[in-house]
Amino acid sequence: MPESSSSDPGRTIRELPVGARIELRSGDGRRYIGAVVPNHTVGSEPTVRLRLDNGYQVGIRVGPDTSFERLPDVPGVGPGPVDLLPITPPPAAQGPWVTVLTTGGTIASRIDYATGGVRPVKEEAELLAFYPELGRSGPVRIEMVFDRLSEDLRPDDWVTLAERTVGAFSAGARGVVIAHGTDTMGYTAAALSFLLADLPGPVVLVGAQRSPDRPSSDGPSNLHAAVQVARSASLGEVAVVMHAGLSDSEFSLHRGPWVRKMHSTRRDAFRSRNGPRLGTVRDGTVSVAEWARRPGPGPARLDGPLDPRATLLWFYPGLEPARAEAFVRGARGIVLAGTGLGHVASEHLPWIRSAISGGAVVGMTTQCLEGRVDPYVYATGRELERAGVLYLDDLLPETAYAKMLWALGHASDPVRVAELLRRDRAGEFLPRRTGRADE
Amino acid sequence: MKAGLEVHQQLAVGKLFCGCPAEFSEEVVGAFARRLRAASGENRSVDAAAALQASRDLLYHYEIVPPSCLVDLDEEPPAPLNPDALDTALTVALLLGATPVDEVVVMRKIVVDGSTTSGFQRTALIATGGSVEAGGRRYAIESICLEEDAGRKVAERRGEVTYRLDRLGIPLVEIATAPEIRNGAEAREVAEEIGSLLRATGRVRRGIGTIREDLNISIDGGRRIEIKGVQDLRRIHEYVEREVRRQEFLLGLRETLRSRGARVPPPTWRELTEIFREASSGPLAEVGRSGAVVGAFALPGFAGLLRSPHGTEERLGRELAGQARAVGLGGLLHSDELPGHGVGAAQVEEIRAALGLESTDAFVLVVAPDRGAAERAIARVAERARAALEGIPAETRDPQPDGSTRYSRPLPGRDRMYPETDVPTVPIAPERLERLRASLPERPAVRRARLARMHGLSVEMIGQIAHAGDLDEFEALVERGHAAALVARLLTQDASAARSGAPAAPPFSLDQMDAVLSASTAGRFSKEGIPAVLGALATGAGSLDDAIAAAGLARGGEDLEGIVDRVVRSNAEIVRSRGAEAFSPLMGDVMKQVRGRYDGKAIADALRRAIARQESAAGTGSG
Repeated sequence: MPESSSSDPGRTIRELPVGARIELRSGDGRRYIGAVVPNHTVGSEPTVRLRLDNGYQVGIRVGPDTSFERLPDVPGVGPGPVDLLPITPPPAAQGPWVTVLTTGGTIASRIDYATGGVRPVKEEAELLAFYPELGRSGPVRIEMVFDRLSEDLRPDDWVTLAERTVGAFSAGARGVVIAHGTDTMGYTAAALSFLLADLPGPVVLVGAQRSPDRPSSDGPSNLHAAVQVARSASLGEVAVVMHAGLSDSEFSLHRGPWVRKMHSTRRDAFRSRNGPRLGTVRDGTVSVAEWARRPGPGPARLDGPLDPRATLLWFYPGLEPARAEAFVRGARGIVLAGTGLGHVASEHLPWIRSAISGGAVVGMTTQCLEGRVDPYVYATGRELERAGVLYLDDLLPETAYAKMLWALGHASDPVRVAELLRRDRAGEFLPRRTGRADE
Repeated sequence: MKAGLEVHQQLAVGKLFCGCPAEFSEEVVGAFARRLRAASGENRSVDAAAALQASRDLLYHYEIVPPSCLVDLDEEPPAPLNPDALDTALTVALLLGATPVDEVVVMRKIVVDGSTTSGFQRTALIATGGSVEAGGRRYAIESICLEEDAGRKVAERRGEVTYRLDRLGIPLVEIATAPEIRNGAEAREVAEEIGSLLRATGRVRRGIGTIREDLNISIDGGRRIEIKGVQDLRRIHEYVEREVRRQEFLLGLRETLRSRGARVPPPTWRELTEIFREASSGPLAEVGRSGAVVGAFALPGFAGLLRSPHGTEERLGRELAGQARAVGLGGLLHSDELPGHGVGAAQVEEIRAALGLESTDAFVLVVAPDRGAAERAIARVAERARAALEGIPAETRDPQPDGSTRYSRPLPGRDRMYPETDVPTVPIAPERLERLRASLPERPAVRRARLARMHGLSVEMIGQIAHAGDLDEFEALVERGHAAALVARLLTQDASAARSGAPAAPPFSLDQMDAVLSASTAGRFSKEGIPAVLGALATGAGSLDDAIAAAGLARGGEDLEGIVDRVVRSNAEIVRSRGAEAFSPLMGDVMKQVRGRYDGKAIADALRRAIARQESAAGTGSG
């Protein structure tokens, strides 16, 4: 018996529980049998989404003359209640273990049938269902810290991650892996490089460019390589481990302050800018550059806090001084991503001068991403420098921003902040050299 | 028995999720290697077929070709569904009388054989219902889908497979019939009719491998078997009939096994490597050569049932060997083929004693690089032997060029699909369908009737032309002024006869056929010479003149009259004694020299004139 031919059958159908099996009859005589699944398209045509018995989903338009009948459910058809994969619990941590902190991001996301996008996993079991191989090379302990995409992380989250990392080391972890969304992983890597001190082992950030619900995801192999590094590398700094190229056989280690996401989708998006790679994992073998920072005796220490009152301003032709001035208002620290050797249009000099005289610290970086800033080559640079702008050598703009938050957190006097900014803290400045060693 | 057909046809409209040109390439500009693993799908259960492939832990190599883009490499999300491909699929749906869905949802179908860089194939259901008529019967259509083709396998070594990315992403229309096909001949007819219909759109790719068929076959009391990727239409009936025989054999075998009380114990590890330390030939020589291990498995009650019962090709031993191959081994040895393969009678006794077997018991041996591989193989062999007690296991089989099939993998279940959320769904507006309906191509059956009427040929002949090649070529050649009957003969007989000597040669182009027909019509050689000239073109003649010369049809300085006169003069005696009656014996001599070069009637006329001349000349001389 038809259950509905009310004024809005589409709405009635969409209110059925997900997985309910129905026979749908449209006004033009078509019949479809399938399970109701959520319609991901928001605000599009009034269609009902059915998963047919052959596994395909289709959208069927519904109108006033549509009717449907609820059928008995068939086990195994439709998304229905989920069967978890058989999960082997991580082996009880005996001997040195690696702590895996998860924050969300693609590496710890799955398809969300409510929105059609991917969403972070919220349970450890869910993560293990994706990465049953996680503990294969030895004991791991998993802690879910956040379940957010990386664009939603904030500087106070960096501090939380640093605290949890210190906690993991204090509890005895050999190394720490942080599974992170790739969008802002470079920022977090830079911030943690400043926030963590006296590291007794590696802190490895890792992500996935291709979602883990696809058999080709780079997540499992990246994570496996990161755990290997955390377990075995003689390393006392913060690094990012991701694919070195298109293949699943080589991974690069990047120093936290030097790494940047250089491509929106490729597996090998992460590159060390200015400096060489910190190391590699090639066919399962971890090797680390001889100049890498070695583990200290510990204990690991949080070198905080951060003061979030800083901004990062990307200069572009046509940027109005008034707009820039409004943007930086209230900031104790301003990082400029200038053009070329570190320039902004000379019409910006007045507000920069007044910001500095008002006590703000202004640092200059380059949009070029490769190379250093230098104030002495052109007149604009000299004027900016004379006005008190700090030229931050080869720091990436985002690294300079993270370091500004850290420096502001450590000093209130602008002179002292400037000193901290200029002093190498985590190997972020590369000694002058003619070229890059390995690339 | 009943069978259903799935026809997969490549479209000539650019790739499905990037629009890049789809061109096969021999130029490789880069390579990369990946491992795939079964990802949990929508309901988080790992599909059996996908898991099997992943358990083989293969390293997949991919060759990048110049048109490859980041979508092909799975380094970038797919672009929205190619609208031209969707239009073509909708056109096919309308031609079949099927009902399009209102909103197309692209799904991911897990295929962890490495043939796609993503580990899944994107596919979407476009329409359901409709029917196709073939051989006077009507067959229901179940579904019409649009999907992306997989990479092209170019090399396979143990543990490593190489795919080239030129084929990956080419749009395929998949048409699935209901299981209403009753025999191999019907399967072929339905496949051919669907093929004609697809070609009617004018937007399909042509040539070897651009259309492939999957056959779903089951007999009463059996389970569904899928034969995947048949490329040669002419072999469809053979695959169907041999598969029916295989299934009948398996049902018969089940009865025998049951009546004997045969059973399959749970697999346990029995290593017999020591027995074969000294083996010097056959697969067991690997023990001494590479340190391979030998595992054994007993099959109580199976003796004599692993080999072919009546000398036919169906045998259980072959089915079990397929399982060993599926985990990467070369195959296995079983007691019904021993002694042999380098195993002596004494060793067979030793094995039987070691396993404690009765004379009615059979055993299998697997030779593997290590114990793990041997155990995996034995577990699968045991499972397959147990399935023999139940009858026919549902599975996917690979067609072989000789008309047989080989075990490929378990039949994937329906859990293998989940939505491709990177691609927006596509609502199909009624206006779009109206536009496509207004420009629908002529249906093949209607076209065949029209062409027959127009050109005075039988519908059967037109059918044969469609069968052999295609009606577009027929129409184009007739339009260029060639006689319909001549073109029909060229397309149905001459072209295939000409290519029989060079099966790998590409099909003749329209211009080639046009030139050959024109030269013949112009009198450069006879109609009978057409196959020889085409044959010369197929085997590498660079130009029409070369082909005519290579076919031995080039005319020298001597014209027809000269040749005929020479023959008549050298047979003056016969002409004198038999007069005009000399025509028949002399015609044979003349034909030996000019066959194919001149039209038969012209030769006969010339000969008659020459005989008359000779007679009158002789009369003058003697009188």
